[in-house]
Amino acid sequence: MDLQNFTKYLKAKANIPEQEFQLLIKKVKFKNIEKGELLLRPGEICRHSFFVEKGLLRSFTVGNSGKEHIIQFGSENWIVSDRSSTFFNEPSDLFIDAIEDTKVVLINSDFIEAASEISSSFRHYNQMALQNHIRHQQKRINLLLSASAEARYLNFIQLYPDLTLRVPQWMIASYLGITPESLSRVRKELAHKNFRPN
Amino acid sequence: MKTKNIEIVVAPREPHYVGDGFRVHNFIPSGYRLDMERMDPFILLDYNSPFYFPPTDKPRGVSVHPHRGFETVTIAYQGKVAHHDSSGNSGVIDVGDVQWMTAASGILHKEYHEEKFSKEGGYFQMAQLWVNLPAKYKMSTPKYQGITNSQINKYQLTDNKGIIEVVAGSYKGIKGAASTFSPVNVFNARLEAGAKAGFTFPANFNTALLVVDGEINVNGSETIAENHFVLFENEGEEFSIEASKKSTVLILSGEPLNEPIAAQGPFVMNTPEQIAQAIKDYNLGRFGYLEE
Repeated sequence: MDLQNFTKYLKAKANIPEQEFQLLIKKVKFKNIEKGELLLRPGEICRHSFFVEKGLLRSFTVGNSGKEHIIQFGSENWIVSDRSSTFFNEPSDLFIDAIEDTKVVLINSDFIEAASEISSSFRHYNQMALQNHIRHQQKRINLLLSASAEARYLNFIQLYPDLTLRVPQWMIASYLGITPESLSRVRKELAHKNFRPN
Repeated sequence: MKTKNIEIVVAPREPHYVGDGFRVHNFIPSGYRLDMERMDPFILLDYNSPFYFPPTDKPRGVSVHPHRGFETVTIAYQGKVAHHDSSGNSGVIDVGDVQWMTAASGILHKEYHEEKFSKEGGYFQMAQLWVNLPAKYKMSTPKYQGITNSQINKYQLTDNKGIIEVVAGSYKGIKGAASTFSPVNVFNARLEAGAKAGFTFPANFNTALLVVDGEINVNGSETIAENHFVLFENEGEEFSIEASKKSTVLILSGEPLNEPIAAQGPFVMNTPEQIAQAIKDYNLGRFGYLEE
């Protein structure tokens, strides 16, 4: 499989000599998954982090009424996972599935340990990634608790610029914790403010 | 003048759905050797070969989506499409009609099977072509040409064996109905069995045809089956077709723009920065608004 994005990603994050890089890359697995296919179900322990080489994943939960709540989207060069399930070895609450046909790189703890041993910059990167994840989660909680629908949407389009073209409105609304009608209203108001016909 | 020979014949790919109303074979840009640069200024061709859609109360189609930087050309062979856009244009593309929409600086639109057609169900057959705009017109004002079949000038072949509908460009002195931003020829040849027609285009024009219905012979040498696409060499000027049975053939020939192409989804611009700007503008409502 052509792993252009993953190779570029790894080389940018870790200063690993070519010979050792070739050994490391053998520790990851690749998978082609079809749109709608699940990579993780609630109750399972998340054994991998999923690096998106091409395509689009999401993690989500399903409420009692059957409503889906999207926690995260992951397009090219994003990693989708349930870190706490992996670390604490406990069952996940999440589903992870593919919104588009997707090529994923499966990263396990064996790979992380080996890469950390070989490269101090990878070790540093892995720390940064964890801190960045926490920062992102905190911001997201704060936005969900306190921000207006418009502010949440503006934050979303900054984080995921092209997803408005790739996922249906209801999924964006689900991620933002608003109804599809509210999202439609926000977009209409933005158009009203920003549209200048030439 | 020299004969324009066939470069390749491309079989239809497995169909995929655009929304839930268009079951299309993509030829440009994903067909073998049919990328945007090769076919410039034709940057996309989706062909919905005849397909039966059963009756439904909820019209099938494609919900609101943007376009920037090019023109969409929808040619209806069977079935009807209702169209609405954010400039306030709406209409129905009926059998034989062509809708030529210049998205240019940006438009939102939606396309659904027409209500009555949806309720009754029926065979649907349509082509959608994207024609790239020269860089200097990419950010011009959007416009819309709804061209009914009666507005399309037709060239009568000898012995009443068929007609050439000149949608754009010109054929033997007959001018096309659509105005274009660069030299582009789009014809529908509707041929009875045994009908012959010849075409002349400059050697450098990217030239192709799609057998929409029937079966034809090209240059007296190669038989081309239904749903197959013929790409011509960029040498020679003339080619001829002969229908072995009643046939409809879409003929395309355009002068390459030879400008850089940056494309993502519904945006086709010249640079990645312009694509990022298009996405930003769309997200911020700068394309206007259209109800779902």
